Amino acid sequence: MLLCDFHIHTKYSDGSVELRRTIDLFGQSGFDVVAITDHIVNGDNTFGKLTTRFRFSITEENFNEYITHIREEAERARDKYGMLVIPGVEISKNYLSSDKSAHILILDIKEFISACWGYEKIFLAAKEQDSLIVACHPHYTLSKELTSRDTLFLWNNREKYAKYIDAWEIANRDDVFSVISLKKYPYIANSDFHRVRHIYSWKTLLNCKKNVEAVKQCIRQNKGVAITLFRN
Amino acid sequence: MVIFWIFAGLTAFGLISYGLQILAVRSYLRETERRRRKGIVSPCHCIPLSILKPLKGLDDNLFDNLESFCLQDYPQYEIIFSLRDHNDPAYKVARKIKEKYPGKDISLIVERCSAGLNPKVNNLIPAYQVAKYEFILISDSNVMVGRDYLREIGKHFGDPDVGLVTNLIRGVGGRTLGSVFENLHLNTFIMGSICFLDRFLGMPCVVGKSMLMRKENLLAIGGFRSVKDVLAEDYVMGKKMHKMGKKVLVSSYFINNVNQYWGLKKFLNRHTRWGKLRWKIGGIRYFSELLSNSVFMACFPLFLYAPSKLTGLFAVMVSCIKVTGDFYIGRKIKAEMNPFLYLLSPVKDLIIGIIWFIPIISNTVVWRGNRYVIGKDSKLSPCTEPGLWTWRYRVLNAIKARLV
Repeated sequence: MLLCDFHIHTKYSDGSVELRRTIDLFGQSGFDVVAITDHIVNGDNTFGKLTTRFRFSITEENFNEYITHIREEAERARDKYGMLVIPGVEISKNYLSSDKSAHILILDIKEFISACWGYEKIFLAAKEQDSLIVACHPHYTLSKELTSRDTLFLWNNREKYAKYIDAWEIANRDDVFSVISLKKYPYIANSDFHRVRHIYSWKTLLNCKKNVEAVKQCIRQNKGVAITLFRN
Repeated sequence: MVIFWIFAGLTAFGLISYGLQILAVRSYLRETERRRRKGIVSPCHCIPLSILKPLKGLDDNLFDNLESFCLQDYPQYEIIFSLRDHNDPAYKVARKIKEKYPGKDISLIVERCSAGLNPKVNNLIPAYQVAKYEFILISDSNVMVGRDYLREIGKHFGDPDVGLVTNLIRGVGGRTLGSVFENLHLNTFIMGSICFLDRFLGMPCVVGKSMLMRKENLLAIGGFRSVKDVLAEDYVMGKKMHKMGKKVLVSSYFINNVNQYWGLKKFLNRHTRWGKLRWKIGGIRYFSELLSNSVFMACFPLFLYAPSKLTGLFAVMVSCIKVTGDFYIGRKIKAEMNPFLYLLSPVKDLIIGIIWFIPIISNTVVWRGNRYVIGKDSKLSPCTEPGLWTWRYRVLNAIKARLV
């Protein structure tokens, strides 16, 4: 089984660890597959504008640099640790109301996708790139961290958007969203890594080959997927 | 005022002993430097050896640590990774290392041995049983070594009287406050004490992170089973070896102990445990540790009196001397630490001074999730649930809860 984490932030957005160090941290811990998913925040409100201003968001300008850097690190991680690194982003549509907010992981992204676009446009752009779409922390969280907020839009509108979503985060860091299993949606579990201590959290185990296509297919088909609480 | 001068005297004693520690470290380094300058390459006394690696959980930098043993410039050796559990996160890392180096002689042993109370020894027993060479090297999972490590440590066995060879440890890689404190402490107090005891008092200190010995000598001292119930198995093995008339050597070759992301709690836990261990082993000699903590001694008058210019200046002056000394050792041993981090050294010394008192009032340790009562010579016994210990912890917990 491959030990995987598909939701990892670095200093490219609001993570506290640089990309290279993040890769090393997961590589040194024996991970098989990781996805780097820094935020692309919607700039259509004051909060989003501030986030972009203080460089807590990937922008269209630095997107290529970000992807190139991940690809360089992916090569190093493959040679050194035998670890697969997938480039991704977390499209973050943040509003004052939790009901309006949503975060979406786009894994194996190739072209920039703006968080200001409408949901359907975002999903279709991701599908066009053959990226994997994951609804992250879709329900109420118990996290005590100041920065964490609930993002409920996708769950509240699941009838409309579930057809676009390849998998739902059934567990995020220390939270488990049992509603996902009740609906029998495809699932994965991730750390939402921002700080070193977050490495000890829920993870996904995949029974597939260690390449991007096999990983995406395994998650989409939701066969050979398990979750585990990674503790030291 | 009299009390101030008493503490000033104790501080002076601490500074003198610290100066001696620096001299002891320097004498070790001089030997290495002399060899380097003259370009002396150690003749390879390349004894075939088995490296026993007990693994438990993820240490910082685990992959690189284990990999460094696969990259040794040494003709014949085997590596045995030993774990208790397939679910241990270290198992995956060890497997990756084995897959990355198919040409190396690497074995992975997973066995739940419960021979004694020391979990490291429990882990070592199954590995020892499959070790095929006459020499065994016990090496902790949190050390990273250079390519010439085996060559350097093995060369001492040209002398048949040598029973055990251990190494000096250098703390590197600190990125959090806890790791910086840990590395500062390893590179100053621990290293200084080991060098001082060995060079000036002829008391060899064995560091469990790296111990090389012959199987026959290990058997002669009773094997691993003789230390299965002691916390300081390294110290006891060294002591027995010494008693048997064999030389116990501290090699001047440094091995890196990589501590990157330690929390403060882990630092406090480890040094409380080590303090208890030294108290049980050293007895009255344990008091010399407090007396040699010059920063703590210098700050005492500050707490006893209302802070004055004299007491404040005295504490600052001693702290500056200590920072300079620590910086000097750090530079000499190439600890690769940001120079500004040495300013934290007095804070670390104050913390160490405070936790020095804990072993006097408590003799239980929590190690890898289990609580033990620690007795003479660090002998462990299970901490029974009912009784005095539980009562005391209940009181402590109640106080803690109140404070929160």
